[in-house]
Amino acid sequence: MNKKKNIPAGKRLLELAQNNTVPIMFIIICAIFIPMAGFTPSYLMNEIVTRMGRNLFLVLCLLFPIMAGMGLNFAMTLGAMGAEIAIILVADWQIWGIPGVVLAMILSIPFSAFLGFICGTLQNMAKGREMITSYIINFFINGWYMLVVLYIMGSIIPILHPSIMLPRGYGIRNTVSLLNMRQCLDDLLAIRIMGVKIPVLTFILVGLLCLFIVWFRRTKLGQDMRAVGQDMEVAKAAGINVDRTRIISVVMSTVFAGFGMVIYLQNMGNLPTYSGHAQIGMFCIAALLVGGASVEKAGIGNAFLGVILFHMMFIVAPGAGAFITGDSMVGEYFRVFLSYGVITVALIMYEAKKRMAKSQTGRELAEAQVKKEDA
Amino acid sequence: MSEKKDYNYNSPSKFNDEMKTIPPARRITELEKAQMTPLQAMVASFGLPRMIIAGFLLLLLILAPFVGVDLPTQITNIINRFSWNAVLVLAMVPMIHAGCGLNFGLPLAIICGLLGGTLSIQLGFTGAMSFVMAAVIATPFAVILGGGYGLLLNRIKGGEMMIATYVGFSVMSFFCMMWLLLPYSSPTMVYGLSGNGLRPTISLDGFYNQVLARFLEIDFAKIAAALHIGLGPLERIRIPTGSLIAFAVLAFLMWAFLHTKTGTAMTAVGSNPTFARAAGINVDRVRMLSVIMSTWLGAMGILMYQQGFGFMQLYNSPNNLTMPTVAAILIGGASVNKASIPNVIIGTILFQGIVTMTPTVMNSAIHIDMSEVIRIIVSNGMVLYALTRKTEGAK
Amino acid sequence: MKAKTRRILFSLLLVLILAVIAAVMMVIGRGHTVYFDNKTLEDYQGQEYKAFEKVVVTVKGEQVAKLNKRDRGMAIWIGQNFKMTLEITEKKGDEPRVQEVSIKLPYSVDGIVVNLPAYLAGLPEEAWFSEFVPAVTEEPEEEVPGEGGEFGLEGDLGLEDGLGDI
Repeated sequence: MNKKKNIPAGKRLLELAQNNTVPIMFIIICAIFIPMAGFTPSYLMNEIVTRMGRNLFLVLCLLFPIMAGMGLNFAMTLGAMGAEIAIILVADWQIWGIPGVVLAMILSIPFSAFLGFICGTLQNMAKGREMITSYIINFFINGWYMLVVLYIMGSIIPILHPSIMLPRGYGIRNTVSLLNMRQCLDDLLAIRIMGVKIPVLTFILVGLLCLFIVWFRRTKLGQDMRAVGQDMEVAKAAGINVDRTRIISVVMSTVFAGFGMVIYLQNMGNLPTYSGHAQIGMFCIAALLVGGASVEKAGIGNAFLGVILFHMMFIVAPGAGAFITGDSMVGEYFRVFLSYGVITVALIMYEAKKRMAKSQTGRELAEAQVKKEDA
Repeated sequence: MSEKKDYNYNSPSKFNDEMKTIPPARRITELEKAQMTPLQAMVASFGLPRMIIAGFLLLLLILAPFVGVDLPTQITNIINRFSWNAVLVLAMVPMIHAGCGLNFGLPLAIICGLLGGTLSIQLGFTGAMSFVMAAVIATPFAVILGGGYGLLLNRIKGGEMMIATYVGFSVMSFFCMMWLLLPYSSPTMVYGLSGNGLRPTISLDGFYNQVLARFLEIDFAKIAAALHIGLGPLERIRIPTGSLIAFAVLAFLMWAFLHTKTGTAMTAVGSNPTFARAAGINVDRVRMLSVIMSTWLGAMGILMYQQGFGFMQLYNSPNNLTMPTVAAILIGGASVNKASIPNVIIGTILFQGIVTMTPTVMNSAIHIDMSEVIRIIVSNGMVLYALTRKTEGAK
Repeated sequence: MKAKTRRILFSLLLVLILAVIAAVMMVIGRGHTVYFDNKTLEDYQGQEYKAFEKVVVTVKGEQVAKLNKRDRGMAIWIGQNFKMTLEITEKKGDEPRVQEVSIKLPYSVDGIVVNLPAYLAGLPEEAWFSEFVPAVTEEPEEEVPGEGGEFGLEGDLGLEDGLGDI
């Protein structure tokens, strides 16, 4: 840190730009697109604040597995699935409002924790390939989720209300209305500043999670997790139960993702049963990466910046696409392309860096060998 | 914060490297084989999940007549779907051989095929000629895009699969824009009203629909009519000979290639890159070749698929074929770094058999169609199984 | 060893607390829809209870319904102690009188229909209480993922479809 003072300001700025290529790129994209889309500032602010409340909690869940060196947890979707099962039950029992939200969160814990445990165990069996494994687990568990929701709910798990059940007598409808808990968290304690509704309670929850993350990093378990993330072998030698620590990090991620999903759904006001969780993982990961995070290093600041920039791009892209090409579909595809693209670039940078570090250690080893032989 | 320190800080764990040096699955020795019961031996050589899937398919085939499913039609369907998908599955082989893992970047290859197909129609070719031209036009795209893709994969050895997945997605979503923006004008392909942008589904009637399948087709109904005999339900069997021949030719070429000097070098790179480098093989070049081959075969595969299916699907649809294809070769007995032609054939038959049979049999038997859920669980479960096996798939 | 027992004890306690919170939430969060009819109840034990000229219903300080004769209004309520304020005009030209009403709602019933004239006359529950049964409507079959796809090519059902709002 002290060294930094000696470096001239221009060079420091350049370094800063180099380390934050992705956020800067997104700032430029947003700066170009916003005037093209032609939205009013108050509309934009409103949308951004709403989306921050909706997505921040979910994005923050990704930090735990990154801490443990397991990369981007594509399987945070499992937590979302757990939350959806909980929400369906709560909607069927007709528990409304804040109590409904609290109950859904509590109810989601066993589901998310169980799925997270499975995911962590499988990832331990595929060390070095955690990300692709978590990615496939997504699809695999989605199959089981469909089995439960489409065939077991209503036939084995009792579902009382025909309003959420398919007419055939079992299975859940494509959309479950959550009208009675719609935005109940957001509206409580909400304040309006210049026409922008700020869901204070939701932000308090996000803040609590941030505080928890900061505190957790200092606990014994948090320290262990970071040690495992840096070098599993060293951590093992230091007497840390590596596998257990890794599983805990995934379980924490999924459980918090479950809470996040409940917050997300109460804001949306309805549950798209079969597609609700689908894009959550991808968009949250893209948002985190847009905030300047990398596969092995991410902080709370990245999550905040990422959600703002990514969603800004997301809101204005269709309008800008329509402005440029006359077809808003182009804009929609463009934003999807950017989401995928940013993940791809982050993954490539991570792997390339890993390889460079590896070859460097290899070279150092070889040099040491040569020196030894010379001596 | 100095750069160097940063690197050491993030140095990959030794543990990971050790994982990669674990030797591939031990071959079962003759002695051990003799000691096993026949059943055990079969499980060992065939793999438990494969046994379960094969058993399930067998069960479906046995059940079929009892629940009133017409078996000859089903078998025709399985053969047809085999002929559509086999080349796509074959496209997995070179990359697995060269140690690049499962090609989750299949959408990239499919895009090359789609470019070939759309351009061939745009240029006004019809009938069988349109198929030939589609294959011809797709080839340079496959070589260029595959080359770039190979270059990228060479830079990130060890993380191929995850990156391949997202490269596939990125290219696919990029081309989603391109299908709207490129100046296509053939009235069969563009949106009727606005006149710009390709339709999501393009019918291939009058172009290369069934061109291979109809070539030398064996139609039992026609044979029966010609011989003036009744063959009963067998008359419903039709075999798309042309497609099968085309697959056989490509599979044979693949097999032959794997036995050339370059082919063995490829296998060496896949099974032990360090050894291969020591033996003087240019690892990067061989890997690049495998990726190009895989991309080209994928492009041919999608053209084969389209000629059987009769439609060309654009936009997000390339994505839909990735998982079934990867799952098929794994079901056939391949692992993350080992695959052969029999794996392709067995895997495609098993997977397509299940996909074809489950809906009809289950619908007739219990009036509940759970086929889609079963397909998802089976195919992704298979990929997961391959990824989490510790001894094999060391790459 | 001692630390381990303590940890188990703590986690059991945590589970217990969560379970208690969940149980409390299930009681206080149960939502009901209350319907109120301003309808003449004919012939209850030989007597007739006439509908009011006009009733204004206020729930939680919000006016939810203005009922003329034979009208039905509705309000949603979370919990079992339903409270509302009625502003009743008995006959044409009368001064409206204000009355606070609180009804104990049964936990298991979603929709509750209250006959106001009967309830305000202080009749027993069976006279004014009935359960709301939603009308069964024939509806078109919904397109459900995972079914009906002839070729099984719908992809992995929405996962990574890309498009859509978040």
